[in-house]
Amino acid sequence: MSDVKKVRIFMTGVGGQGTLTATTLLAQTVLAQGLPVTSGEIHGMAQRGGVVESTVLIGCKSPKIGLGEADILIGFEPMETMRALPYLKQGGLVVSSIEFMPPLAVAMGKQECPAIDDIKKAVSACTDKAYYMANQTIGLEAGAVQSGNVAMLGAVCAAGDLPFGPEALEAAIKANLPEKIQAVNLKALELGVAALNA
Amino acid sequence: MANPLLNEKGGDTHLLLGNEAIVRGALEGGLQVATCYPGTPSSEVPDTLYKLSPGGKYYFEYSVNEKVALEVAAGATLAGAATLCTMKHVGVNVAADPLFTLCYVGAPGGLVLLSADDPGCHSSQNEQDNRIYARSAGMPVFEPSTAQEAKDMARDGLKLSRKHGQPLLLRTTTRVNHLRGPVEFGPAPDPGKVEGFKRNPSKYVPIPAFARPMHLALMERMEALREEAENSEYNTVTGSGKLGIACSGISRAYVADALDNAGLADKVTLFELGFSYPLPEKKCLDFIKSVDKVLVVEELEPVLENDLRVLAQKNKLDIEILGKDVLPRHGEFTVTLVENAIREQLGEAPVAACDCPLPELPMRPPNLCAGCPHRGTYFAARKVFGDDAVYSSDIGCYTLGILPPLQTADFLICMGSSISAGGGVAQASGQTVVAFIGDSTYFHSGLTGVANAVFNSHDVLLVILDNRTTAMTGHQPNPGVDKTVIGENDHPLDIEASVRGLGVTEVRTVNPFNQKKTLAAFEELKALKGVRVLIAKEPCPLYSRRVYKKVAPQVAYVADSCAGRFDCLDKLACPAMFKEGGKAAVNPILCNGCMLCLQVCGHIKAKKRGS
Repeated sequence: MSDVKKVRIFMTGVGGQGTLTATTLLAQTVLAQGLPVTSGEIHGMAQRGGVVESTVLIGCKSPKIGLGEADILIGFEPMETMRALPYLKQGGLVVSSIEFMPPLAVAMGKQECPAIDDIKKAVSACTDKAYYMANQTIGLEAGAVQSGNVAMLGAVCAAGDLPFGPEALEAAIKANLPEKIQAVNLKALELGVAALNA
Repeated sequence: MANPLLNEKGGDTHLLLGNEAIVRGALEGGLQVATCYPGTPSSEVPDTLYKLSPGGKYYFEYSVNEKVALEVAAGATLAGAATLCTMKHVGVNVAADPLFTLCYVGAPGGLVLLSADDPGCHSSQNEQDNRIYARSAGMPVFEPSTAQEAKDMARDGLKLSRKHGQPLLLRTTTRVNHLRGPVEFGPAPDPGKVEGFKRNPSKYVPIPAFARPMHLALMERMEALREEAENSEYNTVTGSGKLGIACSGISRAYVADALDNAGLADKVTLFELGFSYPLPEKKCLDFIKSVDKVLVVEELEPVLENDLRVLAQKNKLDIEILGKDVLPRHGEFTVTLVENAIREQLGEAPVAACDCPLPELPMRPPNLCAGCPHRGTYFAARKVFGDDAVYSSDIGCYTLGILPPLQTADFLICMGSSISAGGGVAQASGQTVVAFIGDSTYFHSGLTGVANAVFNSHDVLLVILDNRTTAMTGHQPNPGVDKTVIGENDHPLDIEASVRGLGVTEVRTVNPFNQKKTLAAFEELKALKGVRVLIAKEPCPLYSRRVYKKVAPQVAYVADSCAGRFDCLDKLACPAMFKEGGKAAVNPILCNGCMLCLQVCGHIKAKKRGS
């Protein structure tokens, strides 16, 4: 186990966003590369619009990521990116959406979401390796809003911190997703990689 | 393509959820009967068995509660069937009555009881440690830490249980149930026919005269199982350092990663217990004698720690055994937490703490979904009773009614307690009590509470929130449903008839989205005394979409005339609604078209979905 370089990926989003589907797809990608993978998810009450946190770990036995342990943080919603920052290792990679899904108290006008610039500032205090993208817009452009998650995975693969690139994710999409949604997700992958390089 | 979980041949490797791995393991172990009551984090085990059941070679049922599930399982194993019974940790409390005696009677066909414990209370009301049940009742315990082990232990657990005729506890925790990892499949041959029950009253009927020798026989079986634990491949000692680490369950994963991170593997002797009870005493003694100090790494209760302390004392070994004095007795561990505990014992500096500050952000508490019928019921209850009633809640999605503005959950004990504990409040204090219970929970353990309330003349208004499914845990069927993901329910039970059958005379059934009628029914029942029941009947919208293929044709929108009073937002807290500028607005993608908000404010209108 110890001869494989450990990579811990922490993913966070809002219940119903498709975070868990993306998590499984990434874990399948790692497995297909012949690497030891374990992945975890916490749901239950979270399915009712709460926070969903999930993990993919390469070269580890535990499915859990503690504070300060994540090499990569993928935030499918910007406020959740900020909430999960304490899980990030100093100097780790952040890929985050910039499109808010306001929680109820915000929607009701009782509390305010931080501005996207506040979030970027908080991130930059922990790392200078951060990428931001409009994942829902990209998803819609690819053909389905949920595919924005795959766009973000594509960006993570292209960022160079994983032991494989976007082509591994492309193969996993072809091998694991139902045929009728493959094209949309392959398009999303392409757009995600482009967004990283933009 | 057939589901690979049902493949009779082995050899393939699949990425599986821990709970799916348990299913595969049970099939490899020759599963013939499976029973359950769903409960997170165990639910995907029965859900997977249910979905596969049309093509599987086993009998499966969702039982009405855990006690019944274990009793059906008990009958099945007595008839010779290799049996799996699944539930969450608190479910074992419900099943505890048959469990203790079943351990006397035994399990001729083999019986694995899955107890999915929940350190950290991710989706539960407590953190109880069910390894203690096993010690009290007399069951061997397997504690997997990976998806592969979850599969292997479900298989080997069934076989071992059958070999010794003793029920076995497969004890997982949330992280194991909900991890994903590669699993290499073994063969899963057709288990064939169940042998059938063989009459033997002295063995199977625990009247006192028979129960006494049964207890002795149980202890003998457990001694034989202790020998199995001594020789089990699931119990391993590695390394040769002077610090000994003993661990079981998911803690083994944390220890492995911690040692790897810290590069300290050569400084410890690691004792991993996958088959953790009965305690393999010889192996434990050898381990204790080989080290200078022992650190026990286990989540929740000091179960293994106390076992080792007793063993050391019995053998007059003067050795320091650490556990709960350096590691917490509550919640989940992390790799870093475990790593620091190990570092401390080895005199190493702790891992540098993370200095990213915890941000102050709006919380994102789970909420009743857009279009949830419970919102309509709660809104009406609050309108009629306000803060004058004590709201007795129960286990299910509807507990989320606790949040403002609905605030209709004042206390909660366990499944089915709403009616009975509500009766307790009413009888003790004379306060007005409105109790809420879901349809599945009503069949689980609400029926007995209603019988009790009627018999003892309690003064309670019980609201049965009938959303036609068990929504919280993932839409499992219960006796009241008419349709499921794999077909019709041949014998749907009528809740209203059952309530009347239990002696309740004042029963009303309403659709909670019809506020006028719901309010009128509440007012009418408020004026009466004794046990009254209001059935609020309307399907869960998520279930409706999936099973009935029904989507409301309309969505709500806020007319330009909106005066910005925000009654809709403040009183309903529907996740589809938000403030935009000085006005309320509805997100048409999230709106499920329940039209409750139209009845709260005249400025909200309906339009055709998509227009």
